[in-house]
Amino acid sequence: MKVRAVYALILLLAALPWFIGSRYIFHIATMITIMIPLVLGMHLMVRIGQLSLAHPAFWGLGAYASALLTMRLGMPPLLSLLVGAAVPSLVALAVGPIFLRIKGVFFVLLTFAFGEIVDLIFQEWTGLFGGNSGLYGIPKFSILGLRLTQIPHYYVLGLIAAILVYLLMRAIERSDVGAILESLNEDEMLSRSMGANALAWRVAAFVVSAFAAGISGGIYAFYIGFLSPDPFGFQTIVDLIVMVTVGGAGSVLGPVLGAIVTVPLPELLRDAREYQLMIYGVCLIGFMKFAKQGLISFIVDKRRGA
Amino acid sequence: MTAPLLVVDSLTRRFGGLVAASDVSFTVAPGEIFGIIGPNGAGKTTLFNVIAGHYRPTAGRVSFEGKDISGHAADEVGRRGIARTFQAVHIFKNETVRANLHRAAVLARRHNPLTWLSRRPHATPDLEGTAAFLGLDMLLDNVAGSLAYGLQKTVGVGLAMMVGPKLMLMDEPAAGLNPSEKIAAAALIRRLRDERGISVLLVEHDMPLVMGICDRILVLNQGMPIALGTPADVKSDKSVIDAYLGEDYEFA
Repeated sequence: MKVRAVYALILLLAALPWFIGSRYIFHIATMITIMIPLVLGMHLMVRIGQLSLAHPAFWGLGAYASALLTMRLGMPPLLSLLVGAAVPSLVALAVGPIFLRIKGVFFVLLTFAFGEIVDLIFQEWTGLFGGNSGLYGIPKFSILGLRLTQIPHYYVLGLIAAILVYLLMRAIERSDVGAILESLNEDEMLSRSMGANALAWRVAAFVVSAFAAGISGGIYAFYIGFLSPDPFGFQTIVDLIVMVTVGGAGSVLGPVLGAIVTVPLPELLRDAREYQLMIYGVCLIGFMKFAKQGLISFIVDKRRGA
Repeated sequence: MTAPLLVVDSLTRRFGGLVAASDVSFTVAPGEIFGIIGPNGAGKTTLFNVIAGHYRPTAGRVSFEGKDISGHAADEVGRRGIARTFQAVHIFKNETVRANLHRAAVLARRHNPLTWLSRRPHATPDLEGTAAFLGLDMLLDNVAGSLAYGLQKTVGVGLAMMVGPKLMLMDEPAAGLNPSEKIAAAALIRRLRDERGISVLLVEHDMPLVMGICDRILVLNQGMPIALGTPADVKSDKSVIDAYLGEDYEFA
């Protein structure tokens, strides 16, 4: 089975940092695991036919919320990670019923505007978020009295979160919920005529996908130990779209591959920084022209995804 | 006489200055096959869409089983027990017939995310039985989009059946079908009523089909009801002949 081979390859890649042992490789690997829940959240929205540009903002909300809950309220890190991830979920629950009435390019624009507003709030509300000079002194993550001080510790944490979110998204896809979401995407009029409340299901997907983004944000905050509004803006939108497109939206495994391939790119292209966006652009055009279904289409046949 | 299943009372729908349906009233009794006919632009589809919840009525009301459903959204109407089929084929083309029927049952039972929390039992029509009823039992594992057009429309009826409806709204069930498929469609509509107890409200252009299977017919012209009665009443009605059927119209 080709899919098994891909799983084996991913497992191998996941173990690679320990063989190399370099802190730098561990850092890149950790960043990959952090991006996976975020891109999977975005992918869930793509599956229901909505390209959400709000996810970097949800990511940021998760990051700031987790950090502040620990710093200001002294919440234990694991709890603040979960409660922090619930913050973007609640925001999604609040704005979803308005946003998700709108489809296509207008939804894209609306979520983009929302993301920019949230990012501006991160910049301007200096009393709470520290503004552009940043939020310092986020304590190290700890669980059951175990303090995570080294990069490999965070890699393990990221890996666990990535695997859990991946399994959650795959379970959703394979369950009746997945069938409902796909039905709504394929033929909304038909699905509604059979009684399905399209808006309620879309909001549910939005809430779950914001939670995934929030988890990713929380781990990012504890790992980096410092937050500025910078990563939660437009560049991350571009990165996420590249990940979904390169990996392939047809299967939950696609965005995971996309993250594995895309996150190290800036590092590899370090000497050609000014060309980075151009290379992204060429990659995007190439994939959309020659491999619309992304990398995953070379591995899994289109109908029965992994 | 038993209480009517569906009551449409003085229904009017305007689009700007255009009156697409004007003061239309009729009832559908349980176990009835009711037809709506009329020339193009007569307001049949508008009326259909108001009942199905795609448009709000400008005035008047629609009630089902004694409850007002005017202005309810399409999915609420579906949950009340009114299923519908479409003029064009609306099915999940990339899925097998079995997956299509399964999805319909899931969409009806799990109509919103909160239904997951309440594990209340809900009778779902039996998938295999429905397929056998429609003559699709040998095709369950075929991809729906690969079937002949007539069979795809039959799958559409299957989707509506899986919702477990009391009333089925059918938008031109014979459109696009060849003569033998039309005969099969007429037989199927009768069997829906006779064997499954599903009342049918249909909009159709095919006169032999309408005259052959409907218990009562409403004729619309330019948004106005011009006749309502049995097929025999309607086809001898002077205004219907003038507006729609023409003097040379004959029935097989």
